Amino acid sequence: MESRMQPLELGASGLEDFPALLRRHGLLSPAGQPRPAELPKDFKPTESTTILAFKFADGVLVAGDRRATSGNTVVYDRADKVLEIDRQSIMAIAGVPATAWEMARVLEHSFQFFRRTQLQEMSVDGKVRALSKLLRDNFGFALQGIGVVVPIFATFDAKASPAARLYFYDAMGAQFEATDFAATGSGSPGVRGILYYENTWGKKPLQKLDTDDAVVVALRALDTASEADTATGGIDRHAKIFPIMKMVSAGGISTLPEEKIAELFRKRVA
Amino acid sequence: MIEEPYRWVEAIANRREYIETQLASGSPIVALSYAGGILLLTVGRQKLFEIYDRIALGAIGHPGDIERLRMAAIELASTEGFTRSAADVSLRRLAYYSLSPVMKNAFEQIYGAPFLARLLFVEIGSSPEEDLFLGLEYDGAISGGQPKEPNSRFAVLGGTKASAEQMEQFLRQEHRDNEELSIAFQLALDAWTLGHSGASEIGETPAREQLRELRKQGLADGVIEAAVLDRGITSAVRYHPLTTTDLAKLTAS
Repeated sequence: MESRMQPLELGASGLEDFPALLRRHGLLSPAGQPRPAELPKDFKPTESTTILAFKFADGVLVAGDRRATSGNTVVYDRADKVLEIDRQSIMAIAGVPATAWEMARVLEHSFQFFRRTQLQEMSVDGKVRALSKLLRDNFGFALQGIGVVVPIFATFDAKASPAARLYFYDAMGAQFEATDFAATGSGSPGVRGILYYENTWGKKPLQKLDTDDAVVVALRALDTASEADTATGGIDRHAKIFPIMKMVSAGGISTLPEEKIAELFRKRVA
Repeated sequence: MIEEPYRWVEAIANRREYIETQLASGSPIVALSYAGGILLLTVGRQKLFEIYDRIALGAIGHPGDIERLRMAAIELASTEGFTRSAADVSLRRLAYYSLSPVMKNAFEQIYGAPFLARLLFVEIGSSPEEDLFLGLEYDGAISGGQPKEPNSRFAVLGGTKASAEQMEQFLRQEHRDNEELSIAFQLALDAWTLGHSGASEIGETPAREQLRELRKQGLADGVIEAAVLDRGITSAVRYHPLTTTDLAKLTAS
């Protein structure tokens, strides 16, 4: 905390982003350095899967199961992988939660830091790029196999066209904009199949679905993923644990209440 | 020349006079509580800023110096909020521990440049009793605190001491803690008018009609800028600038 006494040597402060500020204070590990692989052979990091997102009539729906695993052990069955970053942005995470939650925290503070210092909201492109940069900075850990994070990023900008934007990333930080849907994590192959099928041959394309129909599709997709993938929790029928679902639309972000998901599950999925 | 103590005192006095002259023309800033939180208001170029979730800043002075202090405050608050939590970001520590010593130091190092700035920080608490108003002078002096008396939850920043006193006296008589935003807004605008128009030279509070007339003249120079720290909203960020639409509605009322 001794740095507190000289906080004013900030000539280039407008250029510095929030991660750089944290690094200057030694609060974030240095960027992009691959670390030597000296992990114990039996070390298995906690990992979580599966997440999905697709555009529907009001905006973007983002959903994630609740399971976190380490090897073949279930570590936690109430993990929250769908995170609200700011009033317009949702980030969902598959991969190592230790890294992913820290990334989400850095990202949330980065957007606010930008708004406060630059006196304007960060652009959608800027936000997408900020996450990409964090992934690149983390590549050292990813190479070691202990810090792999493959997120999905969804945002809504009423002034842009299209207003609903959806991106997915690879572990190195490449960003891909999805036109209709995205899914990552170990259970994602099945989910992608279902979303592709629904979008192409379903009763309606995904973008025309209302909220209820969208929730049902997401529930069925996650249930299917958990059928074949042990790392995906899907829906826990005994303990009544349902996926976390958030939507971003013109009115901002809303979290679907558990009772609502439970009701739709009972009526149309179970 | 500075080796001689009285020369140093003289130099400091000159510097104080110089800074006061520079700040004298600054457009006043008014912060006062209303039923839903705290309102901040001024007229002219942007001088109200969001520092952190619950902390706002109003400033008079040189834009370059305001910018340096504003950035320092945001960086400190953001770093603290990131490493610990938003609840651990404290205005009291920010002002007393971080900013005041630096400003005092710059002011007393008479070969260096002082900060040409006068700051008003406001922090909204979870209850009105925890609201905090802190004024920070160019020499590092801090005024204000948590107002304990009823109807005294307000603070002002004036170009001159006389202007600030005039506004304070007016608000002591007129301000009530739990008014609607529209009433608080009109009151803040009246207080600003009083501080801006040089009515302090008259020495007494002008009548209401005279105040409205002065307000019209004052507003001809610039646009109203206002922001609120909202206690009622669920989101962590309590600071909201009032939009042009909000302002048009409030001005008309």
